[in-house]
Amino acid sequence: MMNGGLRALEERVFDRDLCVSCGACVSLCPYLRSWQGRIVKLDECDLAEGRCFNYCPRGKVDLNELHQRLFGGPYKEIEMGMVRSVLMARACDSVWAGRVQNGGVVSALTDLAIKEGVIDAAVLTDREVNLLPRGHIVSGREDIMACTGSIYTSGPTLEALNRGPWTGDERIGIVGLPCMVLALAKMRTSSLEKRTPIDRVDLVIGLFCTWALDYKSFMGFLQKRFGDRTIGKVDITPPPERIMKITAGDELHDIPLDEIRSFIRPGCHVCPDMTSEFSDISVGTVEGEEGWNTVLVRTERGEELVKRAEAKGVIESQPLPGDKLSHLKEASLLKKRRAIDALKDRGELEDGYLTLSRELIQQIQSESKEAP
Amino acid sequence: MSIIAQDTPGETVLLMGNEAIARGALEAGIKVCAAYPGNPSSEITGSLAGVADEFGLHVEWSVNEKVALEVAAAASFAGLRGLCTMKQNGLNVASDFLLNLNLTGCEGGLVLIVADDPGALSSSNEEDSRAFAKLGDLPLLEPATFQEAKAMTKWAFDLSEDLGLPVLVRTVTRVSHARGNVLLDELPRPTKKPRFDTSRPRIALPVLTNHKLLREKLERAGQVFETSPFNFYRGPEKPELLIITCGSGWMYSLEAVANLDLNERVGILKLGTTWPLPEQMVLNHLSKADHVLFVEEVSPFLENNVKELFAQNCVDLGLKRFSGKATGTLPDIGELNPDIVISTLQDILEVFYEPVSAEYALRAKEISDQLVPERPLGFCAGCPHRATYWAIKNALALDGRDGFVAGDIGCYSLGIGPSGFSQMKTLHAMGSGTGLAGGFGQLNAFGLDQPVIAVSGDSTFYHAVMPALTNASYNKSNLLLLLLDNSATAMTGFQPHPGTGKTASGQDAPILDLEVICKALGAQVEVGDPFDMKATTETILRLLQDVEGVKVLILRRECALVRGRTQKKLFNMEVDQDLCLGERCGCNRLCTRVFKCPGLIWDEIAGRARIDEAICTGCGVCAEICPSLAIRKEVV
Repeated sequence: MMNGGLRALEERVFDRDLCVSCGACVSLCPYLRSWQGRIVKLDECDLAEGRCFNYCPRGKVDLNELHQRLFGGPYKEIEMGMVRSVLMARACDSVWAGRVQNGGVVSALTDLAIKEGVIDAAVLTDREVNLLPRGHIVSGREDIMACTGSIYTSGPTLEALNRGPWTGDERIGIVGLPCMVLALAKMRTSSLEKRTPIDRVDLVIGLFCTWALDYKSFMGFLQKRFGDRTIGKVDITPPPERIMKITAGDELHDIPLDEIRSFIRPGCHVCPDMTSEFSDISVGTVEGEEGWNTVLVRTERGEELVKRAEAKGVIESQPLPGDKLSHLKEASLLKKRRAIDALKDRGELEDGYLTLSRELIQQIQSESKEAP
Repeated sequence: MSIIAQDTPGETVLLMGNEAIARGALEAGIKVCAAYPGNPSSEITGSLAGVADEFGLHVEWSVNEKVALEVAAAASFAGLRGLCTMKQNGLNVASDFLLNLNLTGCEGGLVLIVADDPGALSSSNEEDSRAFAKLGDLPLLEPATFQEAKAMTKWAFDLSEDLGLPVLVRTVTRVSHARGNVLLDELPRPTKKPRFDTSRPRIALPVLTNHKLLREKLERAGQVFETSPFNFYRGPEKPELLIITCGSGWMYSLEAVANLDLNERVGILKLGTTWPLPEQMVLNHLSKADHVLFVEEVSPFLENNVKELFAQNCVDLGLKRFSGKATGTLPDIGELNPDIVISTLQDILEVFYEPVSAEYALRAKEISDQLVPERPLGFCAGCPHRATYWAIKNALALDGRDGFVAGDIGCYSLGIGPSGFSQMKTLHAMGSGTGLAGGFGQLNAFGLDQPVIAVSGDSTFYHAVMPALTNASYNKSNLLLLLLDNSATAMTGFQPHPGTGKTASGQDAPILDLEVICKALGAQVEVGDPFDMKATTETILRLLQDVEGVKVLILRRECALVRGRTQKKLFNMEVDQDLCLGERCGCNRLCTRVFKCPGLIWDEIAGRARIDEAICTGCGVCAEICPSLAIRKEVV
């Protein structure tokens, strides 16, 4: 199902403006490079099949087949994918407070996983001086701290996984957006000769994501708006307000989302995944509860880590209230519905990147509701 | 000792056409020769430079053809004999001076040799320089043999002094670059002291008086040409078909007539003096034939001039049929050869000739196609230009605004093809890349957002880029010029230039520093090493994206061929066969399929890349591109 090489990647992903800059295709070969938030083709490669297209989350994606291979059953949990348990949690150690986006669960779990030897290193995302996101390999708390927070632009995190440097026997954890988590799932199940450390990735923490902004155009906007002032923390308030709160220099500014919507990557509009459905653990905000994270535990090893974190007092948790859960499910399903609509508008529902059965499409369409 | 300096009058020696021309100039007693190199003309001045000391000549590689002609004209003005040589494009550059020089005339013999390149084998254009003779009312000679190349050059100086006009000699690749027997004459050693006669200023004013004088000189040239031994006829008294030809066309015509056994039916009028026409001689032959075929290289120059002459005399001559390039009988582009003339004569005279059977020809072609490897034009192994274009390609791809290279004339013109990763998108005259880039830079104001990179070699820079760069600075353009300084005029045969510290005859010369010049011309200047492709890519990107104004990046590395002559290898290269990924995903033969240095070869059986020891120059550049670090370099 996943045939194609660089030419397919160019025709079906780059030319259709679907690239989300996850970095899965970068540092595998000399033909692709990431540059200022974009993935750039440097030369022609005529291989009929290549890892670049094979791993691409906008290459060919058959949710059902992937699900079958990773979770051992058909794709039917159409709201948020396979979930073993749902909770609301936050990090206990005050070291994370103020740095992290919400409850600090991602940082605390990563920190614990390294400390406990579950993994030896993790691939996170930090930002260069010019706020350009990049993959960063960490092996301790100091490094994790450098990778907290978000500015809502996507970057080639997975490039760092492909590039290393790795010694060759370390166990690896990764924190990524849904597109990256999907790419990891494709890497795992690819039949092509790998020559990447994907088989040593033992922990995938997925983030919730509605969309990401294109680095270059968003930076242009910020530059125009704030000049040379240093951009600090960036937050988006939950619905119905939906305002980007941005620290520039010493001041906090409000930017209505409508002003930045045009910078959303087109590849995000066709993404059906809000909750990183192929992760071990997915983490996001809790609507209306500042300082807490929603945590979806999907796999056995995810469950093990969360339990250990609770037992060690690294995180504290409580059940996610029912209304919050149903809101989350609604929002997640709505993202799927919008992706289907977007693919339909582009005329790519039939021969697009995403393969979904007619039944699943109908189910998503009938069960999703427009947000208030 | 150089063969052109051999003082053995009466001996016949084998000379290249260009050497024969040089010998002709020596036999004419020239004192000064100035030129800008360009194929197929370069060996004339090149061989004279080699004997400059021995003969007490001043031989120089000038910075461009216009200056070269001026230098040679100065010798003439002072009473000495001066030679100037160039290729067809060069005459375009020199033409501004030439079309004033025709009016001022000259004193000592002044001969301008222009070597045309029919078929544009080593040129950016196909051009018939003879048009300038007509345009400038100047006498024109065209040698057809090697002996004529020498004799005509020698005689051209006499003619020039006789008329007081510069004389044009037009040669073509197959005369200049082939070899044949030449009978040597005496080598004079003139000792005349030069002096400019201030009572006879060389000023075209009053123009009309001088123009009238020029017309009279030209008319006199026509009279002289009527009896020139360089014009002759061979054939029957009243030929069925009259071929009028000149230059290499004469040899082709002789061969065609002989092969087809048409000596009784076809006559050949061979002209060596083609402008002005020896009118009476031509009319005389026109009167004896009803059908005329013109065989000449590039343009229907003779053809149209003879037809003009015919039109003035048609009442007396009656109806004639004319065939040639203008009538579509012969191809009006590309180079002629005996086969083309044979096939034309077959058609006109309805004779059958098959040198080899069609079946044999087909089989021979099939076999040779299999045996002869495809060899597209490309940079040499270790050429710094390949590394430069790699950096340009990557920088423009990363920049992502559909940028391009405005090209110029030199080895790096190969940037139009796979060897330069097809980055070059404009190619015209010497210096035009920078002129165009300066113009594109002005379009930013109207919304052009494509970055433009001009490239220029060091020699081209001195030739014609300096005015363009000055213009860009003065008019506040936005421009990035990459000066590909390989310390040689490589494409034409490593002639020295103002940046090399040597003159044409090998003497020390001041080095005109590119950095200093560019800074003086208002550019921001940086210097880089093209072999460091990563750093060069980053520098180009930074200069394109972050620096406004006129910027020059000098990329300095000696031409691989020059380096090969003077220095040992930098590195021993090796491809680790275990690490090489070959055609697998992750490489797919980047080095032999895309980078394509001839020093790298693809071992089809092993499915791995290898170094061709005989060709690799050990520059080490390919180690940087190998994704699996299989290409290793070891310091020699």
